[in-house]
Amino acid sequence: MGIITFILIGSSLAFPAVALYALWWAGRHGQLSHQDKASLLPFDEEEPLGQMTDMVLNHPRNAASASAAKS
Amino acid sequence: MSTPVSPGVLAALSPRDSEEGGTQAQLAEIDASCRGSVLLFFLSGMVWLLIGTVLALVASYKLHAPDFLGNAEWLTFGRVRTAHLNAAIYGFSAEIAVGVILWLMCRLCRVPLMAQAVINSAAVFWNVGLAIGIGGILAGDTTGVEYLELPKYSTPILFLAFALIAVWTIVIFRFRREKHLYVSQWYILAAVLWFPWLYSTAQLLLVMDPARGAVQAAVNWWFAHNVLGLWFTPVGLASIYYFLPKVIGRPIHSYYLSVLGFWTLALFYNWNGFHHLVGGPFPAWMITISIVASVMMIIPVVATAINHHFTMIGHFGKLKYSPTLRFIVFGAMSYTVSSLQGVLSAVRWFSETAHFTHHTVAHAHWGMYAFFAMTMFGSMYYILPRITQREWPSERLISLHFWCTAIGVILYVVPLSWGGWLQGKAMLDAQIPFLDVVKVTLPYLKFRTVTGVILAVGHVAFFANICWLLVRTFGPYRQPEPMILAGVRSEAAPVGK
Repeated sequence: MGIITFILIGSSLAFPAVALYALWWAGRHGQLSHQDKASLLPFDEEEPLGQMTDMVLNHPRNAASASAAKS
Repeated sequence: MSTPVSPGVLAALSPRDSEEGGTQAQLAEIDASCRGSVLLFFLSGMVWLLIGTVLALVASYKLHAPDFLGNAEWLTFGRVRTAHLNAAIYGFSAEIAVGVILWLMCRLCRVPLMAQAVINSAAVFWNVGLAIGIGGILAGDTTGVEYLELPKYSTPILFLAFALIAVWTIVIFRFRREKHLYVSQWYILAAVLWFPWLYSTAQLLLVMDPARGAVQAAVNWWFAHNVLGLWFTPVGLASIYYFLPKVIGRPIHSYYLSVLGFWTLALFYNWNGFHHLVGGPFPAWMITISIVASVMMIIPVVATAINHHFTMIGHFGKLKYSPTLRFIVFGAMSYTVSSLQGVLSAVRWFSETAHFTHHTVAHAHWGMYAFFAMTMFGSMYYILPRITQREWPSERLISLHFWCTAIGVILYVVPLSWGGWLQGKAMLDAQIPFLDVVKVTLPYLKFRTVTGVILAVGHVAFFANICWLLVRTFGPYRQPEPMILAGVRSEAAPVGK
């Protein structure tokens, strides 16, 4: 039980320490500022801001190809 | 004396060295690198979903027809229900989550997935460990500890597999080309660090070298509540924060609120588990602190809800076009409702009536299915066409999947919540015999089986669509060119309504 207790208490102390370090690191490296830049990170040149990227249902292209297949 | 990591190992892993000039990896390269590993996790997760669904239907039917399959000991309620829970949690939910984590991290870090064999072997270990564990449960080897029922000869394999996944997620992060972090990465990194800690601690204290007495219940609920809130919830929120802006083509309403939501979740959630022990043999301060922390969860939940809602304003018309958006918006709304219901359930007067009833079962499905599973379905609708370079074969199957699961889970949760409340009221009345309390719940349990069938239809539709997609990708009649690039990425899709 001694080793397990040591591991558990150690990890219980280490975990909040890692969280505090992460918060400190984030502040020091500008992760908590420049929020406009951060909010644009999901977008890029191929899938840019202002463009919908998941047109699967009811797309006019699908309807056109379906009617072409019927004819 | 510690041995420093050889620069040669890091150099071999670094994707920078595989390209000239360190130019930003193209999306197609990233998607292609993820294909095998993410497909492996997605497909095995879907198989576990179907297995879990069958087990759930059997367990649900047994609650109002106890003689059903009563002669087979391995199909008794205690084993089937437990096998269902573990197949759903550690099979479907965890494996889909890992697939989504890998793809999101590679996309946001702008690096391809390196050394896929490591991740693939983790997937194999995970599935082998889980199959042994669920086989053990059906054979009667359950530990009897909720959410940790897998027998102890299977859990080290699971831990090893997840350790590999966690390390590899951090390796991807280590080699990121984009230095600024998006909020989804915060959630993912936290989740892959939280889960091994939770799982190993709970295994040590409850299975390998069990604590004694009431401490077991405290550790059990610390783990059981946190595995939902600190493992599945962060992955679900990471997905919502990525896919919601991505699909509609608009940044998140307030990045500040998203960061606030993350850090307040990290601060308050891990105290919440003991609210399940209201009325138990524990110091009052322990329960009270947990209830206070549970109520404080209103801060991250409301911050997240406001953020999602204001991001979507003016874009609800896009739900018509995007299956991802349908599932993700449904999941985001369910997160708000189920979390606020969770806050209410933590309060003493409510818990005294509702806790040991079907109300708790309904709440668990609100969180794990209506929020998490629906969010994962939405994520898969976005990821799979991109890693296979093929469009979804059937719009009808997508619609069937969405409506069966959305209507099915609402019809599951709402009546069962009410039935559970009536059950709790009846149990608190000493004048009512226990058998009459059971009869109060019967209509709700029968209706639950019906809703389970509706959900099962949705799952089969989704699995069929995935198999069809894979036949198009790898089969002999595969499409000659990837339609998604021609149809979606380069077309100017409508903005706004």
